[in-house]
Amino acid sequence: MPGTPSIQRPTQHQFNPYSDNGGTILAIAGADFSIIAGDTRQSEGYNIQTRYAPKVFRLTDRAVLAVNGFAADGNMFVKKVKQRLEWYRHAHAKDMPLRAIARLIQTMLYAQRFFPYYVYNILGGIEEDGSGAVYSFDPVGSYERETCRAAGAAQSLVQPFLDNQVYFKNQVPPPGRAHPTHLPLRDVLDIVIDAFTSATERHIEVGDGLEMYIVLAKGRTLQGVEAAQEISARTDGERVFVLRRDLKKD
Amino acid sequence: MDHFPTNWGRPRNDAFDAYNTYPFHVRPDNGPRDAFADNVQRTQQPIVTGTSVLALKYKDGIMMAADCLASYGSLARFKDIQRLHEVGKFTVIGASGDMSDYQYLQTTLDELLISEEITAADGHSLGPVEIHEYLSRLMYGRRSRLNPLWNSILVGGVKDGKSFLAYVDLLGTTYSSSTLATGYGAYIAQPLLRKAVEGREMDIDENEARKIMTDCLRVLFYRDARSLNKYQIATVTDSGVAISPSMELGTQWGFAEGIRGYGAQTQ
Amino acid sequence: MSIMEYNGGSVIAMVGKDCVAIASDLRLGNQALTVATNFEKIFPVTDRIYIGLPGLATDVTTLRERFRYRVNMYTIKESRTIEPSTFAHLVSSTLYERRFGPYFIEPIIAGLERNPATGELSPYIAGADLIGCLNFAKDFVVAGTASDKLFGVAEGLWEPGLEPEDLFETISQTLLNAVDRDAYSGWGAIVHVITKDKVISRTLKGRMD
Repeated sequence: MPGTPSIQRPTQHQFNPYSDNGGTILAIAGADFSIIAGDTRQSEGYNIQTRYAPKVFRLTDRAVLAVNGFAADGNMFVKKVKQRLEWYRHAHAKDMPLRAIARLIQTMLYAQRFFPYYVYNILGGIEEDGSGAVYSFDPVGSYERETCRAAGAAQSLVQPFLDNQVYFKNQVPPPGRAHPTHLPLRDVLDIVIDAFTSATERHIEVGDGLEMYIVLAKGRTLQGVEAAQEISARTDGERVFVLRRDLKKD
Repeated sequence: MDHFPTNWGRPRNDAFDAYNTYPFHVRPDNGPRDAFADNVQRTQQPIVTGTSVLALKYKDGIMMAADCLASYGSLARFKDIQRLHEVGKFTVIGASGDMSDYQYLQTTLDELLISEEITAADGHSLGPVEIHEYLSRLMYGRRSRLNPLWNSILVGGVKDGKSFLAYVDLLGTTYSSSTLATGYGAYIAQPLLRKAVEGREMDIDENEARKIMTDCLRVLFYRDARSLNKYQIATVTDSGVAISPSMELGTQWGFAEGIRGYGAQTQ
Repeated sequence: MSIMEYNGGSVIAMVGKDCVAIASDLRLGNQALTVATNFEKIFPVTDRIYIGLPGLATDVTTLRERFRYRVNMYTIKESRTIEPSTFAHLVSSTLYERRFGPYFIEPIIAGLERNPATGELSPYIAGADLIGCLNFAKDFVVAGTASDKLFGVAEGLWEPGLEPEDLFETISQTLLNAVDRDAYSGWGAIVHVITKDKVISRTLKGRMD
């Protein structure tokens, strides 16, 4: 109350509504495809809670969302994004375009500016012009479109590796030639697998399993990427596939 | 037809929300206000607590176990408490953490089931998946209002031939796995459970599952100072839920005789 | 503010086929402010041992002189040059002497070890923490403000049995890409590849931002 001297209270143990559940996610865009990947370990401190908790989710046939950070916030956030996309579908009788989903996510994150979702989001998929795209977000909604991005516990291990292998940073092309602007699907998959095996080797919160979602633009095929399981609703537009690999469990 | 109850009885406003796509939480809230809201007490720490709950998947379904102790700090306050609870015909929940919050959850769930049975009566019934979803929404909602229910809960069950086992805690964190353990059990029993169960869930019969469970409970009783040698085991199978009466755990202390600090030596 | 990040800087060493490489950045900072871009952190110990000293710059200078003194004393007393494995333990005990008031340096050692029986030279690398706990790695060791980035890139790029020129490319790419993601390291780099008959030292240009 104004005017009255404040009463000195003993410091209380404050309930902390957040936790960190480890793990790492990453996404790379190609010319006409996009790969979104994440490990499947969920941990708290030194405790492995489960060896299989998905962090990557199909939103539509052209959009896949990876969430990393506080798992409870992440799951709730994905649930709410999916709900908004369903409402959009009912209102407009079509799936929301990728760039619109990106803006939706930024709005939803910023709406919680003063009690944020403790989550790093990476959205991957196919843009309306058919190009592969990756959008990355911070917990309160700052976002940008990129070609590749890593986030989570092993971000600092993986991102410089991606700079080198995807953006060809610090590499000089042979005289008269230029670096490719986009990599083929097979190469990108190999880079993703290498990145996660490296991160698993050196980071205790990364491991157990790897889930890679592949989003293909309308008309293109997997071209020799075997054993990817299709999960798209329709096969005549953009298509979504999942590819799973084991990672070390120690 | 507008399916959003918050819009009923209000004039339609096409300029504001033509397609009714605005989510509930951004619409004006005209709910009742609590005049005493400023002086409401929240759970800041658990008071009367239960320790570990263990659960595993086996051939016939799921098995869950907990001891019968509710502690008041280091005092073994209540020694015949039921920490396993049947929810509907297909589900068992088990809780560690604050026992009053847990008993509140029990009543809430029982009321939910009654109202489902009476008001819905649509031939559908809530299975373990739905109970877990409900609980995790409840727990996450409470943590988001900074008024958590101070528990770690295991939810297990079998419905339509599918077995289900999952965890939810005071933060709303959820996960599922073929073996689960809360509290000290996560450190002591979970490694033993994983070694015994992981990869051979479908080979374990009820007898073996019981052996694994009691072995883990015994190790916990030896090492967890807030545990008791009286326990219950619940099973959920195709034939329904069965929660055992409280049972005594066989322990051996012969080894302690020669060890300083364990036996009867005074110095 | 961590004292280990006061001046910034990173070092890495890698094993190749009959050769080793050691490299560092050239930045010297006063926290976020860069004050020099020619600050070398790697020093020759013998003609086939190098030591990298990332950490607090004042201790870089002190330790460099202490190691020079102790290696000279060893050479005089023993009438022979020191081997990398012996030097690693010299480093370790020098640091452990100051167990409760340490030098803020995490040294990296790279050299070629002579087999006393056959006379053959084999690659030797080692790292240590600031109180001298040694890490004898078979592949690579990293230290400094960009250590986690170095781990990530090195784990992805390094492979066994690299020839000197390939090892040079691998360690250079690893270092440059790692320090480009570290605000406290960068501004050029220096690489030494130690082979049987020569040491190849090259200064690299890096991003200046």
